[in-house]
Parts: sequence; C-alpha cells; structure tokens
Amino acid sequence: MEIGLNHYLVLSTILFAIGLVGVMKRKNLLLLFFATEILLNSVNIAFAAISHYYGDLTGQMFAFFVIAIAASEVAVGLGLLIVWYKRHGNIDLETMTSMRG
Amino acid sequence: MLSPINVSMESLNLMTLAPMLIPVVGALLILVIDIIKGGLHKSLYVVLSLLFLAMDFVAVADSSGVFMANGTTLGLFDVMLIDGLAILAQFIIVGASMLFIPLAMTHKRFHEFSYPEFFALFLFMIAGFQFMVATDNLILVFVGLETSSLALYTLIAMHNRDKSFEAAVKYFTMGALAAGFFSFGAMVFYALTGSVEINKIALVLAANGYADMGFVLIGVAFFLAAFGFKLSLIPFHTWAPDVYEGSSAAMAGYMSIVPKIAAFVVAMRFFEFLVHSGIVWLDVVLYIVVVITMTASNMWALVQTDVKRMLAYSSISHAGFVMAAILIGTTQANAALFLYWILFSFTNLGSFSMLWVSRQKHLPDYQSSDHSYNKFAGMIKTAPIASVIMALFMLSLAGLPPFALFWGKLYMISSAVTGGYTILALIMALNSAIAGYYYLKLIVYMFMKEPVQGNDGHVYVANATLALKTIIGIAAIGTIFAFVAINPILEFVTAFVYNSGY
Repeated sequence: MEIGLNHYLVLSTILFAIGLVGVMKRKNLLLLFFATEILLNSVNIAFAAISHYYGDLTGQMFAFFVIAIAASEVAVGLGLLIVWYKRHGNIDLETMTSMRG
Repeated sequence: MLSPINVSMESLNLMTLAPMLIPVVGALLILVIDIIKGGLHKSLYVVLSLLFLAMDFVAVADSSGVFMANGTTLGLFDVMLIDGLAILAQFIIVGASMLFIPLAMTHKRFHEFSYPEFFALFLFMIAGFQFMVATDNLILVFVGLETSSLALYTLIAMHNRDKSFEAAVKYFTMGALAAGFFSFGAMVFYALTGSVEINKIALVLAANGYADMGFVLIGVAFFLAAFGFKLSLIPFHTWAPDVYEGSSAAMAGYMSIVPKIAAFVVAMRFFEFLVHSGIVWLDVVLYIVVVITMTASNMWALVQTDVKRMLAYSSISHAGFVMAAILIGTTQANAALFLYWILFSFTNLGSFSMLWVSRQKHLPDYQSSDHSYNKFAGMIKTAPIASVIMALFMLSLAGLPPFALFWGKLYMISSAVTGGYTILALIMALNSAIAGYYYLKLIVYMFMKEPVQGNDGHVYVANATLALKTIIGIAAIGTIFAFVAINPILEFVTAFVYNSGY
C-alpha cells in the first residue's frame, strides 16, 4: 500500500488527540509539558507532509518555526517548574488550588 | 546549482519594520547596560523604556502618514502588512504600554522591578504584539503571539509570590494549548488552500465556493478556540480570573488591554471574510459565544468578594461585548471596536492602577485577600479624593454618561442596530444594566459603609508616588473629558478602518 497524504494527516490528527487528552488529564506538570510537545509536533508532521504534497516550501518553514517555538516554550515552562519545585517540593497540578476560578 | 538570489533593498521596504525594531533595540540596550554596570536604579530603566516607546509611537505615527498618502504598504517579501488596522492597533499597544511602564515607580519595593530583565522582556513583548498585528501571514502571527506570550508568562511569574507562580503556570498551560490549536487551525487551512496568508486563503476558498465545507468548519473551530483562549471568551475563560488575581494589579490591567487588542485585530482579519461568506454555522456560533461571554461573566462578577476578581470578570464581559463587532462585521462596527478599546484602555488601566496604589505588603486580619471589598469600606471618610476617582472609573466602566465608556457602548450598540442585529443590541444594553450593579456595589462600600476598625486610610495610598498619581490623573482626565475627543477619534478610526477595507 502506498503511503499518501491522508495517512500523514490521520497520524497527525491522532497524535494531536493524544496530546490534547494529555493536556486535559495529566496532573504532573512535567508530563503535561510532554503532552504540549506532542500537540505541537503532531502539527509539524502534517505541515511537512502537506508541504511535500503541494511542492511548496511554506509548510516546512512553518514547521521549523513551530519547532523553535516549542523549544522556547519548554525553556520557559521548565523555568517555572523549577521555581515551583523549589518552593513546594512537588510538581503536582492538584496542589495549585490557592485560587478557585 | 542554485542561482544566486538578487533582492533589491527597495522591494524589501525595510521601513515597515522600523516600529518593531525600536523596542527590540531598546530591550537589547537595557540588557547591555546591565552587563556593563549592574545594580542601577529602576528609574533609569523606566525612563529608557519610556523613551523607546515614545520613539516607537512616533514611528507608528510616521507610518500612519505613509498609509494616509499611499494606502496599504507591504514589505519584507510581502510578509509585513501595514494597513489601517495594524496602525490603529499599534497606537493602542504602544500608548497603553507607555501608560503602564511608569507604574513600576512604586513607593514600596517589588521584586520584579529590581531586575532590568523585566523591562527588557516588556519591550520584547511589545515587539511581539506589533509583529502580530502588522502581518497577514499566519507564520508571523504565530511567532509574534508566542514571543509576546512567553515574555508575558515570565513577567507574571516575576512578581514572586506563590499566587503569581500559580498564575503563571496556569496561563502557561492554557497558552500552550492555544498555541497548539492555532497551529492546527493554520495547518487545516494550509491543507485546504496551499497558502498561509489570510488574503490568499480567502481568495482560494471563495474561488472554489467553499467546496470542502466540513474542513473549513474544523479549521474555523480550532481558530475560534485559539482566539477564545487569548480573548478569554467563555468557555475558554477559566484561566483569566486566577491569572489576574495572581499577577500584580498593574500587570492585570495591562493584560486586560494590550494582548486582547492584538488578538482582536488578528481575529478581525481572519473572521472578516468568513462572516461575509454567508456560513450560517459561524454566525450562530459567534452569536452564542458573544452572548454567553457577556452575560455569564456578569453573573460571576456579581458574586465575587475580591475587587480584582470582580474587575477580571468585568474585563471578560467587556471582551465579549467588543467581540460582537467581529460578528456584525460592518465598517461601523469595526471602527466602534477600536473606539471602544481606546476608551476602555484609559478606564480599565485607571481602575487597576487604583488597586495598585493601595497594594499592601502584608494583609491585615480583616482582609481575606489583597483587594477584598471590606478593605474599601468607608473609603470616602479617610481618603476622599482617591475614592471619588475610583468611583469615577467604576461609573465609566458601568457606561454612565458622560464618561468615556458610555460613548463606546453607544457606538457599539448603534452599529449592532444598523447591522441588523436588534436582539443582540438589546442583550448588550441589558448586560450594561446588569454590570452597573456590581460596579455600584463597590461605590456603595466606599461611600455608605463605616471603615473597618484599624483602617486609617493610609492603606489606599500606601504605594503612591508622583509617577503613579500622574498615570491615574491621565486616566481620569481621559475618562472625564472623553466626550470632547469622541468625534475626532471616531473620524480618525473610521478613516483608517475604511481605507484598509474592513
């Protein structure tokens, strides 16, 4: 069977769904960051595949920007996580309830 | 063998980049100064930031002159797009930032302002917002959005209290989710049209008559979610009250204005062609979101015990009110959006600054939170001028004539009526009436109640310095004398919006 554009798009959608469920369900901050990485990188797969399909480089450019942004996002996120861990000794989202929305 | 690429400098039109480069240069300069000589007083950095923001403002004014003469300008391989919306939004962004930065000159020492990085990040954030509004390209929108958001998370966390870290982490998680939604939405439209530029997407979709309607709707849903997070539209608003409570009052006021106008402009660019394409589904969804955001957040605001949380919910409600302009989609409505937001910046920044000057380091026993209602009980007896100014901002937020936001609400509702949304206009008017109740609740506390034992009124101006008083004075003057400036501002805004085709 030939692997076509649709396969990539389906893969990307499945990964996005996994990432989304992870963001919703994970209570550990570190695993939540993993989930956001899956979320953003699933889009990269689709961008690269569509870009190849159209023979147009814009999608790959977008994917590179997404990679860069995902990396810097994790840098900021880990900074916040380290400060939280130093103060509280855990990285559990359940403990962040001093304010109720 | 690749042939060398020849690009003439003329075609790059580097002048379109000037307004964004000025704050970037300023931020780098601040970092360099800190490396060469550390431990300088924060007033130097405040003045430097103000200076660069003023230069930025002049650069934006300059490009507005170019726009008036030549119309929309493209630059840098057609990635930059300087049209009326971009210029108006940049005026609001830079202007509100200039009003914000002197709020760092507090009487008490706060952690974040002792770091020069605070000011550097602040300027980087402004550059990010400016990139976000001055482009048609979804890549640059995404980059600008994330530059500014990442800086903003850090600025919130730098307040260095437990609640601010919690707020930063919550905002970060929501922001990361919004980034995922945005990029997925962009991917869907790239798959449909083979382009990431909004005007080309619109052209291709119109040319094939919205053939893949299902996929268009999926893409729109993802974008709506992404903008919903940034604009705190219900049901994506859950972060807003916590983040506002956790960050400093000045930062909360800033967050209710500047990030939202940037997101509004992108939403306007993106939804404009979709609203006019006659997709019924989108109209219905936007209608529901607007109505629920306005109404439900008003209900929540009624039951808050903390003034800052009340103002957070009121900001959500105002965002829903303004989102109606994007649903209506006429030139009049879009112009009303900008008018409303200019007036709202003065009023809301003023009311949050009033909370900021009354910020204590340690909570007395009778206060359950930083700005609980009973802190303001009997304020008229101990701090008459401050309480009158606070009441003024509350009346303006409630939309009482002749204060600033009355005119904003008036033009917004009248644009809804002329746009054929009579029921929406009625709901908007009703909501203004409901909102009046909780603003009046604070006024009742200030004017009718007895002060709590042990509150000698010093607390209301605990943090006041000349710089803070000046900003509050400017906001108050803007709020009271808005009626003088309404017509010129409206003509200016309408000309810009109309000439850029929205």
